This record gives sequence, structure tokens and C-alpha cells, in this order.
Amino acid sequence: MSEYARMKFYCDDERCIECNGCSVACDEAHELPVGISRRKVITLNEGIFGKEFSTSVACMHCTDAPCEQVCPVDCFYIREDGIVLHDKNTCIGCGYCLYACPFGAPQFPKDGAFGTRGVMDKCTMCAGGPEETNSAKERELYGQNRIAEGKVPMCAAMCSTKALVVGDEQEVSKVYRERVASRGKGVQSAPYGWSTAYKN
Amino acid sequence: MKKLIAYLLGTALVRAGEQISNKVPLAMSDGGASRGENPLASSQMLQNILQYKDGFGEQFVHFQTEWFQPLFMYIGIGVLVVFLLHYLIIGPKRFSHEGRKFYIFSLFMRIIHWIAAIGFVLIVPTGFMMVFGDALGGGALVRNARYLHSIGTVLFAISLVPMFLAWFIPMLPTLDDIKWLFIAGGYLSKKKREIPAGKFNAGQKMWFWLAMLGGLVMIATGALMYFQTVDVNQLLQYVGITADKDQIEYLRLSAIVHNFLGMAIAALFITHVYMAVFAIKGALDSMISGNKSEDELKHLHSSYYKKLIKQEEKSSQ
Repeated sequence: MSEYARMKFYCDDERCIECNGCSVACDEAHELPVGISRRKVITLNEGIFGKEFSTSVACMHCTDAPCEQVCPVDCFYIREDGIVLHDKNTCIGCGYCLYACPFGAPQFPKDGAFGTRGVMDKCTMCAGGPEETNSAKERELYGQNRIAEGKVPMCAAMCSTKALVVGDEQEVSKVYRERVASRGKGVQSAPYGWSTAYKN
Repeated sequence: MKKLIAYLLGTALVRAGEQISNKVPLAMSDGGASRGENPLASSQMLQNILQYKDGFGEQFVHFQTEWFQPLFMYIGIGVLVVFLLHYLIIGPKRFSHEGRKFYIFSLFMRIIHWIAAIGFVLIVPTGFMMVFGDALGGGALVRNARYLHSIGTVLFAISLVPMFLAWFIPMLPTLDDIKWLFIAGGYLSKKKREIPAGKFNAGQKMWFWLAMLGGLVMIATGALMYFQTVDVNQLLQYVGITADKDQIEYLRLSAIVHNFLGMAIAALFITHVYMAVFAIKGALDSMISGNKSEDELKHLHSSYYKKLIKQEEKSSQ
């Protein structure tokens, strides 16, 4: 582990079996409203032999997070370990972060009596938000803060095939390299989506 | 198991000689992604990751980070400064409001106009509030501004069709408009002279067409951003257009168009308010009582005035 951890997600599409466990675990752990999924499992080329694969997508906590750049009220902040979080009290729910996001991560639960679009909700890498750590308010607005408790984010913790890996980039890269080496066959040069999310 | 079935189904389709378009199996295979009909949560979003640089995503980020806020600032401040200087240097036009009055705007048109006006008074300032949301600190203030922005749109949308139908013909361009444009409507001189213009001058026509056609585009792009998950491809299908861009791309394009067009509309809206309230003293009367004074009509809408007089002479004969 380096002195400065840089947290990253990696979903191994050779291992993902589309069980949707990560998505359901996330919904349950953070008590998300119906219709909102911070994490989604998506299968491509289904039924096409040799081309089909599944992967799990959520906020990738990008290096130069475009959501943070476009937010008109500057409600985003990036932690020192690279986790991208936002302040729901500042967010106006305009949707610009969704347009900027390559991964379709921002979600917009309905809010209030008129069913208007509420403030944005997204994966926090189980690191809560700007409220007091592990306070009731933080839990209500952002869900669990497992990182503060020293736990692995929910999705990766329960992944049955350990396709979904999260942690410091050097550790994740090590896991990735070992897996590629042990498979002994050609794979993508970088994990899916990494070139878009992590520029350096 | 599901994969196995899909695989068998896939190969069966191939055997049947049917071409599997990328879309068909994808639509079936978004797993837990789409709960309900949400075009944003489809398997297409995975392909969007790799196509991000080719789409509007990066352009939107560029415009939003580098262009929109400064441009809105230059336009907002620029237009106000120009008019302040105009007011101080050239000054407002004054016309006699004594004497004969001409009934120009019917009660119905005045009501329609003021519905649109209330709409704009809600839309334009709240739009600026969202653009400069960071300076205002965001939160409930700017969030409520966003809600008011939508409510104002409903008012504007109500007025759009009747206003278009009622004023469509007098707003068509005429030769007067070219002459009007050459002398900038006479607003650059203090001299009181007859300005070539029909019922509406070229400036009013510009505002009308921008507000009507541009307004329609603003409503469409704004509504898409408001409702977010209304499937655009399906809507286009209804009007006979086949398109297969992803929903997110339409949203990104909407945001870009909405911002640029918003600048133009905001600029002309401020102009319209300045002209009606400050630049021509008493001009507001015609939209309140419906009457325009003879002096004002004769000078600012000379062609229309001549036409009215001619009609009068004809009917009295």
C-alpha cells in the first residue's frame, strides 16, 4: 500500500456472472428508494458466443471527475484517496453531472409532493458524505459509511466470484495483473472503462 | 441458466437465418439495470463509455466548464452597460401622450402578452440564478429557482400558440425592416423622426421570431432535461423519424442548445424590457390600456400610421 492510496473499482468481466448481487446489496445496504440503483450489472452481446460478457457499473470515482467540473453549484468534492463525493444539501438536481458522466452513474430519485426530480444520488464507494461521519443524517442522506469503519464497500464485499474488486489502485492493479497472468490469454490492455475514468 | 437460454435463443435465431442486430439482444439483456422503462439504464450505457469521446459528452463538459458561465456574464453585464450608456448619452424618447389615441392591442392579446411576460420574468432570472449557482451557494435557493424555471415555462407555453397565430402575419418581414436596421431603429440619435416600421418594427420582429421559434426549441430541450427519461427515439418514431442515438446523447445536446439559445433569448428579453419600460417613455401604456398615442405611432410606426389613416379616409368617404 502506497502512502497515498488512490481508490479504484475494477470489475473483472471474465468473472462476473450477472448475479446482480452487487446491485441488490448496494440498494439494501443504503436503503435506496425503489427504482434507484447506484450500481448496475449490464450484459453485452448476450447470446453471441465468445463475445458475451457482463460487468458491473457504478461511479468510477474518476481522476478528473467531469461531474465535479460541470456542477453549476460546485457541490462535488474529491477526497484525498480519490473518492468522489457530493453535498446533497447544495445539489439542485439539475442533471448536468449525468450528462457529463461517461458511466451514467448519477441517479435522480423523485422528491417531494409533486414528484419533481430531487437531488442527485450516486455511489459513494460506501464513504458517506460531508455530514458528520456515521451520524444518522449522513446515513439518511448518503447511506452507510463503511470506509470509515474500515470495511470494504458493500458491492465488492459480497461479490460471489470476486469479480468486483475495490481498493487502492496498486493493490487492484496487482490483482488484475495476477489474474491476467494466470489466465494466460490475451485480454484488454486495461480494465473496462479505466482509460475513460483514470487518466493518470 | 439465463445466459444459457439466451445463448440457445441466440444460436437458434442465427440458424433461422435471421440477422441479430445489436439492438435486439441488448434490449433483452439489461438484467437488473432497468427497473421500469428507463432509457438511461440500458445496456447501451456500457457502449457509451467507450464512445464517450465521440459523442456530445466531452463537448458538453468543455462548454459547461469554459463557455457558458462567462458568456452569460458578458451578455448580462454587456447588455445592461450598453443600455445604461444609451440612457445616459442618447436618453429616452419622449412622445406626447395627449391627443388622439389609437386602439392597437385587444384585451385578449394583452392578456396573452402578460401571461408570456410573467413566464419570462420567472424564466430568465431563475436561468441566470442556475448559471451562477456556485456564486449563490446552491442549495434550496437555487433548487427553488430551478422549480420556478419550470413553472414559468408552463406559462410561456400557454401563450406561445395564440401569440404566434395572432401576430404571425404582422411579424412577417417587410422592406421597412431593412431601412429600420440601417438606422438601428433611430435609437442612436436624439432626433425625432419618422421611423420606417409597420405595426411591429424590425427589432420587435427579431424578438418575436426568436421567442417563438427559439422558445419552442427551449421548451423541447428544457422538457427533455426536466423529464429526463422520456424516450426521444420513441417520440421521433411517432413523427416518422428513425433515430437510434442514445438518450444520454439527446440530453447532452439539449443542454448545449438550451444554454446557447438561452443567451440569445435572455439578451433580447432584456432589450425588450428596456425598450418598453425605459427607452420610450410611456410605451408600456399600449400593453396596459391597448392604446397608443398618435405622436408615438406616427414616429415609431410610420408605415402603420399611414395605413391606418388611409383606411380611415376610405371608410369615411
